Amino acid sequence: MNGFGYRLGAIGIISTFFIIIFSTVLMPMVLFKPKDSDSFNNYKAMSGVGDPIRGRKIYIREGCLYCHTQFTRLQDRGYGPLVKAGDFNYETPHQLGTARTGPDLTNEGGRFPSEWQKAHLIQPRAVKPGSIMPSFSYLNNRDMNDLVAYIQTLGNGRKVEHYVEAPAEYMPSTWTGQELAKNRHVNTNDDASANAGRGIYTQNCAACHGLEGYGNGPNSISLMKKPANFSRPFYKQYSDEMWYYRIAEGVPGTRMPRFAWKLTPEEMWYLVAYLKTLPQEQEVTINSVEQLDKIEHIKLPKLTEQQFEPHHGNH
Amino acid sequence: MGAGLLASMEFSNPDMVHNIPQMSMPHLRMWHVNGVAIGWLSMGYVGAIFHMVPTLCKNKLHSERLGNLTMWAWNLLMVGAFCTLLNGNTEGREYAELGALLDVMAVIALLLITYNVWMTVVTRRVQKLYVSLWYFLGSLFWFPLVYIIGQRTFVSLPGLNDAIVGWFYGHNILGMWFTTVGVGMMYYLLPRFTQAPLYSHGLSMLGFWGIALFYAPTGTHHITQSPVPEWLKAIAIISSIFLLVPVLTVLTNFFMTMKGRWQMVVTDLPLRFAVTSCMFYLVTCTQGPFQATRWVNWYLHFTQWVVGHAHLALLGTFSFILTSAIYYSLPRLTGKEWHSEGLIRAHYWLKFLGFLLMMSSLTTAGLIQSAGWFMGIPIDQWSNTLGPYWFLRAISGVMIVTGQLIFFYNVVKSFYTSEGTAVKAKAREVKV
Repeated sequence: MNGFGYRLGAIGIISTFFIIIFSTVLMPMVLFKPKDSDSFNNYKAMSGVGDPIRGRKIYIREGCLYCHTQFTRLQDRGYGPLVKAGDFNYETPHQLGTARTGPDLTNEGGRFPSEWQKAHLIQPRAVKPGSIMPSFSYLNNRDMNDLVAYIQTLGNGRKVEHYVEAPAEYMPSTWTGQELAKNRHVNTNDDASANAGRGIYTQNCAACHGLEGYGNGPNSISLMKKPANFSRPFYKQYSDEMWYYRIAEGVPGTRMPRFAWKLTPEEMWYLVAYLKTLPQEQEVTINSVEQLDKIEHIKLPKLTEQQFEPHHGNH
Repeated sequence: MGAGLLASMEFSNPDMVHNIPQMSMPHLRMWHVNGVAIGWLSMGYVGAIFHMVPTLCKNKLHSERLGNLTMWAWNLLMVGAFCTLLNGNTEGREYAELGALLDVMAVIALLLITYNVWMTVVTRRVQKLYVSLWYFLGSLFWFPLVYIIGQRTFVSLPGLNDAIVGWFYGHNILGMWFTTVGVGMMYYLLPRFTQAPLYSHGLSMLGFWGIALFYAPTGTHHITQSPVPEWLKAIAIISSIFLLVPVLTVLTNFFMTMKGRWQMVVTDLPLRFAVTSCMFYLVTCTQGPFQATRWVNWYLHFTQWVVGHAHLALLGTFSFILTSAIYYSLPRLTGKEWHSEGLIRAHYWLKFLGFLLMMSSLTTAGLIQSAGWFMGIPIDQWSNTLGPYWFLRAISGVMIVTGQLIFFYNVVKSFYTSEGTAVKAKAREVKV
């Protein structure tokens, strides 16, 4: 065997290896320098009781990244706009995360009031039944405030406009959605349609969601995940397509079945018309958010009054 | 592994441990990952290398005192890791959590180990290098390199660059250390157990250089949906798929070596561990490239499926081959037979069945999760459905930890028996 040829090959391959390392480690550092976007997490903007920069260290120390991610993807619905490369320039060490055992936190800031966040950190199951998040009650008050301040800065400047959005195949942007719209002969803003939907609601939905849609039907007593309370402002953001999608496909993990198997599209559209007429609950506004919690100075979206269980009844 | 078990129990019963920061799930997870990767697998690997390299070179380890020193350094490192990680003293970089002092210690220990092994090979008494030596030398060259680049202890990169380098490290600690040493051990152990020559030396070389070429750039496939440059993602995904080439060559080589000797698995327990490991390697490495492609990754990313895949690699494949190596080399090093074959059998079945249970429950949980993300439903609405799978995983954890405790008992018992049974094991030692 020719030893020299062997060695030549080895040298060639080792240098290729170094070129690969160079191109995947050093080259991105040189070539990839995104400009600051206008939507990065601005920790400096926060002033008040909590210090978000220290809160970030607590976030790292408590290992939140093992279950919570901090980037939204194209296919994620209800987690706000897609992140941009410039959003992450000041995120060192990065907290992109690898697993979503819990929800994504990219745009978490302002989604819940700070007291809710605090209660959730102390005993997650008190405000979100069935959650498997560990309790962080061992954090002292300062740590807790800083951590909450950090959470509230996340997604600063890219506030979520719509928490709910029907999947693309129900929207007019796809051919399935166009097909759906073409076959839709019910005007969902019409009183007559709503009246037609009322009977369908009483027959199919009232047993769990209650006659007035408060999520307090007789069946709700025995359910682990309580039926949705339609008087929540959350549901007032629902578009027609979203209502239709929910009714048609149900909610996996709950007792909400796929009504597409039982109802015709026409019946479901009538139901949508009725559901849209259900009243919103009495608005409870906190007049002195500043006094209640000084951390809370970034502007909260419409969901402020929801202290507990944003999507479901609180029975 | 105990930490992993505790963490998995907390998944099914989150209020089980309350108000103890050292035992909260994220802290346990840091310790679990580091304990398994840096503690159990790396330490076991170095031990196996220290045994296999001198036998392949037919000489002694270059410096046994240095070997002992690195062993103590590494154990000290693990004590330090235990104390810091459970208190949350982390750098906040996944898989590179260890603090600055421990990083420096690890790098020094690694460089010393590398020096020791390379010098052993330089002063060898056999002309030709067996393929295992290629793998060991390569790994010991890459691992310090990857570790130094990947730790980022003393540099502060902007977020996404940090992520790119982080995943270079996160994937290559697997690819250029666990895989390459593990495969090197398979190359050593299979011909030894079966008393048969390796099927093809040429194929094994192809596999080695294939891994060396295609593994390094794959890291970015962990963040294919984040806003990192597209060309980097493309390189990562393409080389991930190309990894099928070395994997299939390596496995062809193993299975052709085993040809006509499969019945030995029935009686030879260490061989059974090794062959199980090869089979799991096949599964991991066919899963891996497909998960890396955009369309599969799009659906499966962020879920427990990936966790299952990681366990398939580190537990199913590399832990099994390491166990096989320990079962092989301990009698030859101490000159004592194993205390009990029944316990080895129990260890095998507990670990094997426990692992299968873990894998299937995690994979199913992952599919449920990805369906949930796909439908765009808030996580708190479907997280309850995962309950049974968390519970099954905790059970599988109990089985695996029991298996490891039996193994530990067996090792201790074998060490502290009288010298009477020693002769047989010595006689079985065969040189290449």
